[in-house]
Amino acid sequence: MYRYDEFDHRFVAERAAEFRDQVRRRLAGHLTEAEFKPLRLMNGLYLQLHAYMLRVAIPYGTLGSRQMRQLAMIAEKWDKGYGHFTTRQNIQFNWPKLKDVPDIIDALAEVEMHAIQTSGNCIRNTTSDPYSAVAADEVEDPRITAEVIRQWSSLHPEFTFLGRKFKIAVTGCEEDRTALLLHDIGIQVVRKDGETGYRVTVGGGMGRTPMIAKELRAFLPRADLLPYLEAALRVYNLHGRRDNKYKARIKILVHEIGIEAYAEQVEAEFAAMDRDAVAAPSEEIERIRAYFQPPELAERSASSPLIEQMKEASPEFAAWVAQNTFPHRVPGHVAATISLKPIGGAPGDATADQMRAMADIAETYSRDEMRVTHEQNIVLPHVAIEDLYKVWKALAAIGLDAPNKGLVTDIIACPGLDYCALATARSIPVAQRIAERFASTQRQKEIGPLQIKISGCINACGHHHVGHIGILGLDRAGIESYQITLGGDATETAALGERTGPGFGYDEVPEVIEKIIDTYIGLRDGDRESFIQTYRRVGMEPFKEVLYAAA
Amino acid sequence: MAKPFTTSVITAHDLVEGHAVFLGPEGWTRDIAASMVALTAEQAEEFTALAQRHVDGNTVVEPYLIEVSLDGGSPFPIARREQIRASGEPTIAFGRAA
Amino acid sequence: MQLLDATGEIDDLWPEAGETLPDAGRILVPLERLEQALASPLEIGVHIPNDTDPKSLIPHFGRLAMISVDFPSFADGRGFSIGRCLRGEGFVGRLRATGPVISDQFTYLMQCGFDEIALPDAVASRQPLEDWLSQPELVTLGYQRGRQGRGSILDQRRNHA
Repeated sequence: MYRYDEFDHRFVAERAAEFRDQVRRRLAGHLTEAEFKPLRLMNGLYLQLHAYMLRVAIPYGTLGSRQMRQLAMIAEKWDKGYGHFTTRQNIQFNWPKLKDVPDIIDALAEVEMHAIQTSGNCIRNTTSDPYSAVAADEVEDPRITAEVIRQWSSLHPEFTFLGRKFKIAVTGCEEDRTALLLHDIGIQVVRKDGETGYRVTVGGGMGRTPMIAKELRAFLPRADLLPYLEAALRVYNLHGRRDNKYKARIKILVHEIGIEAYAEQVEAEFAAMDRDAVAAPSEEIERIRAYFQPPELAERSASSPLIEQMKEASPEFAAWVAQNTFPHRVPGHVAATISLKPIGGAPGDATADQMRAMADIAETYSRDEMRVTHEQNIVLPHVAIEDLYKVWKALAAIGLDAPNKGLVTDIIACPGLDYCALATARSIPVAQRIAERFASTQRQKEIGPLQIKISGCINACGHHHVGHIGILGLDRAGIESYQITLGGDATETAALGERTGPGFGYDEVPEVIEKIIDTYIGLRDGDRESFIQTYRRVGMEPFKEVLYAAA
Repeated sequence: MAKPFTTSVITAHDLVEGHAVFLGPEGWTRDIAASMVALTAEQAEEFTALAQRHVDGNTVVEPYLIEVSLDGGSPFPIARREQIRASGEPTIAFGRAA
Repeated sequence: MQLLDATGEIDDLWPEAGETLPDAGRILVPLERLEQALASPLEIGVHIPNDTDPKSLIPHFGRLAMISVDFPSFADGRGFSIGRCLRGEGFVGRLRATGPVISDQFTYLMQCGFDEIALPDAVASRQPLEDWLSQPELVTLGYQRGRQGRGSILDQRRNHA
């Protein structure tokens, strides 16, 4: 894991002091709310439906036990004892008071964390693959690049008052687990003729005008990364629209002028600039790389008689192993997903006790490391197969043993109208009711891989556009109404879901989802054809018929 | 044609604490039932102006009017969003993931 | 209007042009009168809106002693890129940010190549001068190699090693 050096420490400490001073000036009236708002947002502090909300960055989703314990402490001391893990690998606290936030920021700095740029019109937390240093086909640990970008983008003097927010994701694999093509800029580490570099995509995003990113550069040499990003951001900052906040994202600029024209301007800017003044020198990249040396895991036998025995004794354990583990590049190990989607729970929520327990488990069984996923789960990246039963038992003790990773109840949901000032409908209770309907482990397994994603408003924080089944909650004359989309995909084969037709009432949603799933089961070509495969084969019509024909 | 006026109360957030507050006869209160109800558009304007002075005085932020029904004897928000907000909590059990 | 730089409040040496241009001395003209000013022997400052292509000023760098970039609102950050771009293209004259920016942006402005800030009175009266002058102490470090001699954290790491 990356560790702060003295400069990182001082940087974050200064930022904490600066925010404390900003709060002081706000309370003293030197700053109006209009002036304070972008400053507090740049420090992750929103004003939500019920209270302030603080969003803390978990850079590229990597979290150590010490940090997780501090998050638990913060949840208990200054919040209501829980936190919410988000689709951008952050954590949100829902109830802090403005006067306490400077103390919370100080507590974060103690464990090398901060809330810088988790909101506001600036470059947000750079996200990455939760299976970094795990996946066998990885070209290079993407967190090296993500950390270089984190530093470059932190309080960048030129890009802190952009037209709109700006999200960057980095992956090191062909198989994408970062929703790369739904980011303003996506970076894939690739190798060409023995040289490591990047494939760069631009202009993806969700919100009210969802778009899949386009390729900006097929191969960017490593040394050019930061100058190239600087050129890409400069063109956006100068030419992106400012007249309408809904048209201010880079995807609209790229869409309006075309990818060729945009690319041309970026290349011109890149060619003209003093690239050496911006580029990270190779010794800096090597310095960062040293922190991401994979842990030395001893190769073990891929099968453990003990674990096989326990699987036979406990079908629940067997189901969890089958569903929640991912092959590790080191034989005898796996990455294990802790599902934050227990049936009936709020997706992504964890209590302080659960956080501490996860920290203990990670410390004992996963080299002190955890990853937050964009599906709002936690990954233990380096678990010996031998230890899986003990890990599972410990998770069961805190109610986080749901064997549902990637299944119908592993639902992404935004906070929705229960928390969010922008929401138009509730999301969490909709997710809960769907999960309750499909609670049976056996039934979930029969249905197979299926991603349901729920947003409580058009801003699409719940990624509904790219859900295999997407649910969008709207307000129709004071009544919550839910539109359904089918066929979305957040991976390297990204696609936007298609609307089935008119929306449904709050109480109807679980029934509607069940009809869609039953239709899929009836149509699928053998039980190995997944929902998304069937949908791609048969199209929208059969689903539409079932949903609307009877009416 | 202007929309007919619906009885309203004015709400905002407490600057320091962040929670929802409603303007009552003795200042801001967390209890919507204790808020002052504007029965006319003129009254609503008066309340809005008063709230703005509290904004300028840095006690509350983001004031706005919400429509209320008086059917139950005390003001109750009409919109689902405002009902949830006035209750001060989400509609779901929170802090318990299991 | 209040004019300030890293040393505190300063005098404005750039009178705005009236209907006719004076015969000698310095003058600040809006972009649409730049042609007219270029034809005079005056020392020229030009005020540009923030949708101006900064590269369009390159041919006039030799005649421009000051460029004032408009910040219509503190939240509209185009001016930061304009500043960087002008400096990157070799502009060595005085660079001014004009508009309702806030003290928290002081360091960013300096790092993007600005020398001075022209604040509307209403903003200046609410934000005491100390708020501005304390900024460089609040923010001494950055990961980017800015202007004004501030080395980046990367540079400092290298010197340290």
